[in-house]
Amino acid sequence: MLYKVLDKKDYKDFLSGLVSDYKLIGPKKRNEAVHDFVPIKDLSEVDTNYKRTTLPPAKKLLFPSTEELINYKINEKIEVLPIVKSEEIILFGINAWDLNGMNFLDRLFTTDFIDDNYIAKRNNLIVIGMDSEPAETNFALKMGAEYAKSGFDLFMSELSDKYFIRVGTPRGAELLAKYSRASAEVAASDFSEYDRFMEEYRKKFKVKVEIESFYDNFEVVYSSTRLWDKIAKSCFSCGSCNLVCPTCFCFNVRDDMRLDLKTGIKSREWDSCMIPDYGLVAGGHNFRPSRANRLKQRYRCKLKTFVDKFGAYSCVGCGRCVETCLAKINIYEDINAIKEEVSI
Amino acid sequence: MVMEMTQKNKHDSLYVPDIATITDIKELTPTEKQFSLKFDDPVKSKKFNFLPGQFVELTVFGVGEAPFSIPSSPNEKDFFELCIRNIGSVSGALHRLRAGSKVGIRGPFGNGIFPYDKMMGHNVVIIAGGLGMAPVRSLLKCILEDRASYKDLTLIYGCVEPQSFLYRDEIAEMKKRGDIEVQLTVDRPDENWKESVGVCTNLIPGLKYDPEDTYVVVCGPPVMYKFVIIELEEKHYKPENIFLSLERRMECGVGKCNHCHIGDKLSCVDGPVFSLWEIKNLKEAI
Repeated sequence: MLYKVLDKKDYKDFLSGLVSDYKLIGPKKRNEAVHDFVPIKDLSEVDTNYKRTTLPPAKKLLFPSTEELINYKINEKIEVLPIVKSEEIILFGINAWDLNGMNFLDRLFTTDFIDDNYIAKRNNLIVIGMDSEPAETNFALKMGAEYAKSGFDLFMSELSDKYFIRVGTPRGAELLAKYSRASAEVAASDFSEYDRFMEEYRKKFKVKVEIESFYDNFEVVYSSTRLWDKIAKSCFSCGSCNLVCPTCFCFNVRDDMRLDLKTGIKSREWDSCMIPDYGLVAGGHNFRPSRANRLKQRYRCKLKTFVDKFGAYSCVGCGRCVETCLAKINIYEDINAIKEEVSI
Repeated sequence: MVMEMTQKNKHDSLYVPDIATITDIKELTPTEKQFSLKFDDPVKSKKFNFLPGQFVELTVFGVGEAPFSIPSSPNEKDFFELCIRNIGSVSGALHRLRAGSKVGIRGPFGNGIFPYDKMMGHNVVIIAGGLGMAPVRSLLKCILEDRASYKDLTLIYGCVEPQSFLYRDEIAEMKKRGDIEVQLTVDRPDENWKESVGVCTNLIPGLKYDPEDTYVVVCGPPVMYKFVIIELEEKHYKPENIFLSLERRMECGVGKCNHCHIGDKLSCVDGPVFSLWEIKNLKEAI
């Protein structure tokens, strides 16, 4: 890690240099309520002052909702060709928790087996992070995701008259050298201002979550039908929580033959662990038949499974699922309810 | 720092199947067929080594892909077999294919296997229910081909009706061998049935092996496990020596699509064979 500072008055030059030379995806205000990460043509479109976007920006780019995997041709022989698409893109303005969500996907798609489709895109994605204001339902601090340690080429924190920049990769250092006049030296006073900034920043996360005791408590209440029926009874099994989640990665693979009956395509599309046929196998047996059972598994997957596998929660606390759920199911309230259930 | 991510093997995209030809089809029962398969690429054929308990992902082009465990012996080279029930979209399409047809194969997959090497020098009990015979047949063949390395061997195999037994010729052969005890049972006997009636579970109390010196393998429909395990624990068989093959829905086979999770584990990469000890506290495993 290298540290640099960039004068605020040089920020526009830096950004406009990037916009003119690269395909740059950044946050843009769509209307009063909604920001979205879209291709930026002009730097005036960029608005980093956002609290949340509906879809997590990195997942949208790296693991799109539908993605072609292979083409095949059936003649005397069957020819199968992988489809691996990738272009160099700058993702500008992603915040720490969405970045940590991406770091989770990086890990998942490279563990055991390497997923070419994901990695080809990831290797070509230049990531410039930036802090954003947490929304009311954001609990990233409790999930350890309010700060990103890795995954970015550059990460910019806005201090009073300058940006404090953490440089994560040689690629980031090159960009900074080419497009900005970022100083070579970072003064001790810059570090202390950054330290104060982070201290104040962390105070903005207000949501209380009793996550520390969840690991064991979850097993204690796992078989409580009363508790889980209460939590899950309003669930519509719609899967909205999965669609907006920066770390949800379940997918189905489909095979479609074209009308010529000679060529076809295999593609993957997002699936949701909340919908009834998620665990359905041929013959009609459903391994996840009830809403309570599926919701429990979602909580296990987010809050326990990857603590064992990767040493971190696969929930980054962005709060999107809390905002999106039509039935107002709230993951941190449920974590707290479990704590209460056990501690009585 | 950003994790250095490189492709381990540039030619093998995860989702690209190898093409194999169906060389032979045998009808085992009215609903199950045995398919013999051979890779078109001799290099792939040579590289394709599997262990008992592993599975492949089979593509019928234009229909889809599904996971099937491999019932043939790992010692048989150049070809492998699959035993497939006509029950879903892919298996249904496969049942309509003829010898000479081409399919796609990815695999073999699965890190959890039947530990045939650890079982050497011990007694082995194999309990199969219905189509559960398919995955354990690989282990059974593997043991019979190296019979002297193992102590006593028992196969308990239960089906709904006498005509639902798979591999009837082979079972008849096994009965003649004298070095394997074969106990068959059916739920609905016909007038010619001379063996046990009822579920597999009923035959467990009759086992006379020392629990310290015995491995047990179980594979069958989801409902069977719970009851078999109660009986096995009653007999003090050790959970670390009981192995179960667990079926789940799978889309990818490589630990990415997440459909096959059993609590914290994935059937595709952590299984599909688990020891009872590994899954004892996973409440929805069995």
